[in-house]
Amino acid sequence: MALFRYSRSIYGGSDQLIGASWDLLPWFVGAAVAFIIVHAVLSALAKRRAHGSH
Amino acid sequence: MDQLTSGRWPAAGGERIKRHSLLDRAYHWLMALCVFVLMATAFLPILGIKFEWLDIHWITGVTLAALVLIHIVRALVFQDWRNMWIGRSDLQEIWRGVARLFGSRQPPLLPGKYDAAQKLYHLGVAVVVLAVIGTGLLMLLKIDTPFWRRNPYWFSADTWGIVYVIHGFAAMAIVAVVIVHLYFALVPDSWYMLRAMVRGWISGKEYSQHHDPARWKA
Repeated sequence: MALFRYSRSIYGGSDQLIGASWDLLPWFVGAAVAFIIVHAVLSALAKRRAHGSH
Repeated sequence: MDQLTSGRWPAAGGERIKRHSLLDRAYHWLMALCVFVLMATAFLPILGIKFEWLDIHWITGVTLAALVLIHIVRALVFQDWRNMWIGRSDLQEIWRGVARLFGSRQPPLLPGKYDAAQKLYHLGVAVVVLAVIGTGLLMLLKIDTPFWRRNPYWFSADTWGIVYVIHGFAAMAIVAVVIVHLYFALVPDSWYMLRAMVRGWISGKEYSQHHDPARWKA
């Protein structure tokens, strides 16, 4: 998986950095969804524990 | 969802605590509108939905930059910026919260106007939004507008590459923070804060339940 986008140099030199790779977009979305799932699970466990202690 | 829109619930005739002024709520929702337009004009063409996105994107970006500038001046000059400052009591609040996750029976520490997680989130949003705005303003040098002619030779190709990398990573990070923000806005536990962002107030009961009056003198 590429982190960056490059353009091929027409003069045969090294490739030119032109930006971040858009292939990473699903990973950013996935990280957000993973965070939400972890938070929801921990919140549910904390609430269950709080109810159990009353 | 009634509690979001009804002025009668949950504080029927009860005390109302002003949480967000009209100006702050307008800023929040205008910023949200700008961010959604910017995300749509940035990512829909990448996902294959082609349209003339550039003019909408840069005009909305300049609008967002102006809004953020107004917000910074307002927060620093006319409001108490310490409401959003991460201090020792916030670190204690985080520590207590983590300890409770692992079985500690100590009661949670009540926050001031904003809790530690909200302050950390605001810090993260500030970093990525300022990065995307800063690089976006530089990228305006590469397009013709009614106000200036493009001049892409201000920077070398390598420098432009770095500017585009920062803009791209910050933009993708904004997608992630928007998703997380929507989650926290919509979970029932924080509906009272969503109502406050719509109507401006929380009830006296919510104030005493969720906030430490010593840390937020409403």
